Amino acid sequence: MEQKKYWKGLEELHNTDAHQEIVKNEFSEELPFESESLLNATTPRRDFLKYLGFTTAAAAIAASCETPVRKAIPYVNKPEEITPGVANYYASSYTIDGEFVPVVVKTREGRPIKMEGNTLSTITNGSTTARVQGAVLSLYDTARLRYPSIGGTETTWAELDKQVTAALSGLGGAPVVLLSSTLLSPTTKKVIGEFLAKYPNSRHVVYDAVSYSGMLAANEASYGKRVIPSYRFDNAKVIVSLGADFLGTWLNPAEFCDQFAKTRKIDAKKPEMSKHFVFESTMSLTGANADERYTHRPSQAGAVALALLAAVGGNVTAPAIADKRVADGIQKAAKELKANQGKSLVVSGSNDVNVQIIVNAINNIIGANGTTIDFASPSNYRQGNDAEMAKLVADMNAGSIGAVLVYGANPAYDYYDAPKFVEGLKKVKLAVSFNERNDETTELCKYQAPDHHFLESWNDAEAKTGYYSFTQPTILPLFKTRAVQDSLLTWSGNTTTWADYLKNEWVAKLGGDQSAWDKVLQDGVIEPATAPALSGASFAGDVAGAAAKINSAKKGGTYELVLYEKVAIGNGRLANNPWLQEMPDPITRATWDNYACISNTLAQKFSTELGDDYEIHVERKVLKIKANGKEVELPLLIVPGIHPDVIAIAVGYGRSANTGKAAGGIGKNAYPFVSFNGQTFDYFSTDASVEATGSKYPVASTQTHNSYEGRPIVKETTLAEFIRNPKEVNEDRNELKKFGPDFRKDATLYPNYEYQGIKWGMSIDLNSCFGCGACTIACQAENNVSVVGKDEVAKGHEMHWLRIDRYFSGDTDNPEVVFQPMLCQHCDNAPCENVCPVGATNHSNEGINQMAYNRCIGTRYCANNCPYKVRRLNWRDWNGADSFENNLYDVADMNDNLTRMVLNPDVVVRSRGVMEKCSFCVQRLQDAKLQAKKEGHPLKDGAAKTACQQACSAGAIVFGNVNDKNSEIFKIRNEQQTDRLYYVLEETHTLPNINYLAKIRNKDAAPKAESAHHEEAHHA
Amino acid sequence: MHLKYESTLREPLVDGEKDYHQVTEDIISPIEGKPGKLWYVGFFISLSLLGFGAFSVFWQIYFGVGVWNLNKTIGWGWDITNFVWWVGIGHAGTLISAILLLFRQGWRTGVNRAAEAMTIFAVMCAGQFPIIHMGRVWMAFFILPYPNTRGPVWVNFNSPLLWDVFAISTYFTVSLLFWYSGLIPDFATVRDRAKTKLRKLLYGVASFGWTGSTKHWQRHEALSLVLAGLATPLVLSVHTIVSFDFATSVIPGWHTTIFPPYFVAGAIFSGFAMVQTLLIITRKILNLEQYITIGHMEAMNKVIVLTGSVVGCAYLTELFMAWYGANPYEFDTFFKYRAAGPLGWSYWIMMTCNVISPQVFWFRKMRRSIAVTFVMSIIVNIGMWFERFVIICTSLYRDYLPSSWSYYRPSWPEVGFYMGTFGLFFTCYFLFAKYFPVIAVAEIKSILKTSGENFKEKMEVYEDQSDEKFAHDVAHAH
Repeated sequence: MEQKKYWKGLEELHNTDAHQEIVKNEFSEELPFESESLLNATTPRRDFLKYLGFTTAAAAIAASCETPVRKAIPYVNKPEEITPGVANYYASSYTIDGEFVPVVVKTREGRPIKMEGNTLSTITNGSTTARVQGAVLSLYDTARLRYPSIGGTETTWAELDKQVTAALSGLGGAPVVLLSSTLLSPTTKKVIGEFLAKYPNSRHVVYDAVSYSGMLAANEASYGKRVIPSYRFDNAKVIVSLGADFLGTWLNPAEFCDQFAKTRKIDAKKPEMSKHFVFESTMSLTGANADERYTHRPSQAGAVALALLAAVGGNVTAPAIADKRVADGIQKAAKELKANQGKSLVVSGSNDVNVQIIVNAINNIIGANGTTIDFASPSNYRQGNDAEMAKLVADMNAGSIGAVLVYGANPAYDYYDAPKFVEGLKKVKLAVSFNERNDETTELCKYQAPDHHFLESWNDAEAKTGYYSFTQPTILPLFKTRAVQDSLLTWSGNTTTWADYLKNEWVAKLGGDQSAWDKVLQDGVIEPATAPALSGASFAGDVAGAAAKINSAKKGGTYELVLYEKVAIGNGRLANNPWLQEMPDPITRATWDNYACISNTLAQKFSTELGDDYEIHVERKVLKIKANGKEVELPLLIVPGIHPDVIAIAVGYGRSANTGKAAGGIGKNAYPFVSFNGQTFDYFSTDASVEATGSKYPVASTQTHNSYEGRPIVKETTLAEFIRNPKEVNEDRNELKKFGPDFRKDATLYPNYEYQGIKWGMSIDLNSCFGCGACTIACQAENNVSVVGKDEVAKGHEMHWLRIDRYFSGDTDNPEVVFQPMLCQHCDNAPCENVCPVGATNHSNEGINQMAYNRCIGTRYCANNCPYKVRRLNWRDWNGADSFENNLYDVADMNDNLTRMVLNPDVVVRSRGVMEKCSFCVQRLQDAKLQAKKEGHPLKDGAAKTACQQACSAGAIVFGNVNDKNSEIFKIRNEQQTDRLYYVLEETHTLPNINYLAKIRNKDAAPKAESAHHEEAHHA
Repeated sequence: MHLKYESTLREPLVDGEKDYHQVTEDIISPIEGKPGKLWYVGFFISLSLLGFGAFSVFWQIYFGVGVWNLNKTIGWGWDITNFVWWVGIGHAGTLISAILLLFRQGWRTGVNRAAEAMTIFAVMCAGQFPIIHMGRVWMAFFILPYPNTRGPVWVNFNSPLLWDVFAISTYFTVSLLFWYSGLIPDFATVRDRAKTKLRKLLYGVASFGWTGSTKHWQRHEALSLVLAGLATPLVLSVHTIVSFDFATSVIPGWHTTIFPPYFVAGAIFSGFAMVQTLLIITRKILNLEQYITIGHMEAMNKVIVLTGSVVGCAYLTELFMAWYGANPYEFDTFFKYRAAGPLGWSYWIMMTCNVISPQVFWFRKMRRSIAVTFVMSIIVNIGMWFERFVIICTSLYRDYLPSSWSYYRPSWPEVGFYMGTFGLFFTCYFLFAKYFPVIAVAEIKSILKTSGENFKEKMEVYEDQSDEKFAHDVAHAH
């Protein structure tokens, strides 16, 4: 059969060339994806994955690159003394309202950014307070007056001078009054004297918002000298404070903390310490640090002093003290005072002349004069004269005053009868204010001639007779302000500038030697070569008269009212300081407000009390408090340890909106409750009434739970127990020995890292920490810690790297208090480090727990896992450091270009969403190491100091290299304080680099810590 | 004779007179029709919730985590509570699809598709929280180990939060693959029935060219088994790793070795409850009562009472250990601040919802009651939400140092974010119910002839036969 041939098309049949070509190729058409052009393309198909991978990687890398660099403008002409990146230090003095702290100001690129205590001063020995630490921020306060003005309109100094001199000469002989708060500067006083000398009948009235006039008057009556003596708490074995908060607000706390701390350090070989009694109405910082504390009504203050005088053997009849506890306490205190004749001291915070005379009499009997009280170099801390002030206001109202020049004082706000002062000021022909802000008084003055901030000024100060200190400008004046002394010199026709005047004065005093003046400015202080021997003064007070007046004082009503100063805000002068406003009050832990402090017993009358419900709500019941015909509505705050019938309110709040964004409208003004007894101001009212209003108001506290629940995080014992068995306080550490001889190595499966070279460590002595909070503010200033404002504090969003935990224990009406500074413990086995998914927190080979802010993504896992809860998230954009527009959260002008000048350029500003915490001031440590390296020697102990350590006036914080056998920290840990030393939560094997030294109370009762283990811990 | 025999004592898994075509009709036809009014209402509500959630998240990202009420003491609140809750819910889907597949549990076929969908959506919701809760969410990519120019800086492999990243992403991937591979034959069914071009195109693409050839089926079955094998350890591992977030920490109340099994049991517990909630509504609205039967619900209720009791046992064990361990901090956490204290109420809600109320399922009547099941499924999920809240917040709010003790109430963006995930979940679920076969058609068909009611009835003749005759017939079948 013939093979049939089938064909598909004519091409095949004829077998054309074209067809043959097609047959040869497997595919009739070229495959589109295998064409030469595609395979040879720049990105061929087969390289797709390669390119995909590359572009993804490239995009990832590009995305992780930094945003464009913004360049700063360098100096065109670099000032000789400024090296960018290197700090300059200038000695200066903090002398606001008579509080005296010589300081060293750190400036960077011409900006003052931090103040430290001047260690050359033997008065304060380098101590500071929270207010001193915060004062640098006030330099950059946006609410400062920026120019001279007349009637609210900006003017030139020349115009102002012209008008003021014209007005002064047109007074027609009416007296000119310079009204100031306490001034420590002798040269300024000289300038004032020269100015006033030009005007007949003129006078200088010194008025202190919180007055010590009673004490001055009492001393005049007792010793014939209107002075405040120097107190030497460091020489005292027994200290009795009758409502004098010398650790917090009384006269000069920086000095007294330093002195008192010396009596509270425990030498393990020979344990002894001072015994400290406090009799007071409210719970003060000093009361919180008392060994024995008793509360009484303010109306009883005189009676308590009298009873004490009687008990120490004074020739008075002791009034009956109804409260047996207090009566016993007086006997006990008297016994101790007598037993320590010449080594004891009684101080009183009363502004009542008679009470102070009684106190002088006690001190005379117990031999305090010349031992713990020194009249050889009396202090000038307060000079206010209440009676003169009252007379001035009366004269003003009578229209007999020609001109009032206000310098530093603010009576329109803090005078007890402010409306009367305001009325009087209207009747004065010429009102000039030198105040640096448009405060309540300044806004009423036609002429505003703002003074420099003290960091821009020249000045001197004589804190104590013979002890001088200086103020020099650390920055050119930021605004068109002028030194008050320059104004006065100009108005008195003297053409010398104040700077020259001061210099001439001192160069002359120093024997015409310019280099001596330079040296003085460098040191900041002049002190007698040898301190004058302590000397007393002969007591000649009218004890019987004073006692009679005290006994005839009217008895208190149902409730009584006490006004007090807060440690941070004081009399209100620095109220517009956001750092200080946000500083938790040492006792109440509340921020940004004043409130009516009442006891738990009194609170129960308003159906509220300490407990879970009170803790979990920030809303507090508002009370209406009436006294002296005035009334105020304030939220209540329960403060254990306040007398059950007493309401305590802090002064310094309720400022006008012009005072500044931070202070304006916060709290209520309590000064109207002050009364004038004809001689001095009384900062209490013996007859107050209190009622509920039905409304509520939030109070932002940083700590709501008051008890440490008997947990061994705080260890304390009594001196007697400690002497009997020094090991007892740390008995629970024996349990750790079960793991083996070395808990560090034996209690873990993991290998131990040996720290070679430097290993940083800190020791905090709970016995000398008084809880004043200077460290908190020092840390804030040093590390650019953000201010968050009241609402955010109420939400638990405050940023402080270092907080001071305050725990009450025992009875709610008579509690014991312990302060525990709590900051990152820099654990060597840190729970935070291993949980961070991105490794943003890690450990340095010097033992520092580090934060890489740029790496942090804000999961907060580290903070959750931190047993000490010291990590702080930037919950919002506090400082404009993120790239979102218009989401800045700034309630206190902390981000104004002016305010930002306070930022420490060595510490990065953290952006929103990142975690931060104590860094052990790593910038200071690096600086110290670098310095040592440049100088070619190993790091010396003490060369690297943390900000908190440096700020502490009690020396409670010791920091250093624990690998250095000569370091103080090494000695504390291994030689001196082995019995008291413990680590918080040591049993969790976090291996903290901060140790604490157990607190020791000089009291007879059994230690609370021990009983707390057995009993149900009391919710204080 | 080839006989697929299942005892008639066993309840049929598909009720009614069904053949293969009828099954297809019942399940696929809702996809082809217009959705009902209820669907639109539900979908709109879901979208609104999603929108509100998106706004809350925007608010939080723009102004910072500070708009939440978390604080220095309580770093995690509703965010991580919701995360763990959603992840837990996801577990039922995987358990049903993977473990029950390996155990050859025929009843899974009625519910596995919806359960797996629920897993996917729940994990999607869960994933939002750990990302959005970050302080700097725009830097979230730091958590991925990718090569970079920063050193390179690497992630911290010690951190359980990093393990979470891997666990959750793996889980999501495997679940998605599993779900999707199961959908392919059903998509092909929709495609083949499609009467509009668009539908044909879309379902054609989605079904990856499935033709139903034997080879396809063989590979499909093999893939299912492989994925089931992969997913099975995930059921246990994902929540184990989530529990490590807490168990590896030092916080009393978190630092507990019992957490992994306790979390897994809790996850399955809450997952099944969520499946119940969804299916009770779905079967009603889509008229699928004959496929998702009371029997199915009873089976799941049995799982619920089992896992609920496991969880209850874990709670008691924790309490016992808190006492027996003699760690004062842990004792306080459990006895003073968890079972009592300001947040104590949350503990008792948890106990009531999770341990006490599921005990009703010991009674058959209760297990088979739709109303009881529905109410219980909601109660269980409330309880399980509180379990996570209790673990996270009551441990944090009163830990070692009493000075830091705090309290926590959510702010509106936190609540909004949670509601937003409900919006996301239900938006997805509504779309799923409309466009996807909510029951695995192919798988139902595979058990239809064994467990379908009408087929089971035919088996009754064999029940009456003697064993010998039955054996003989089987042996000599041709």
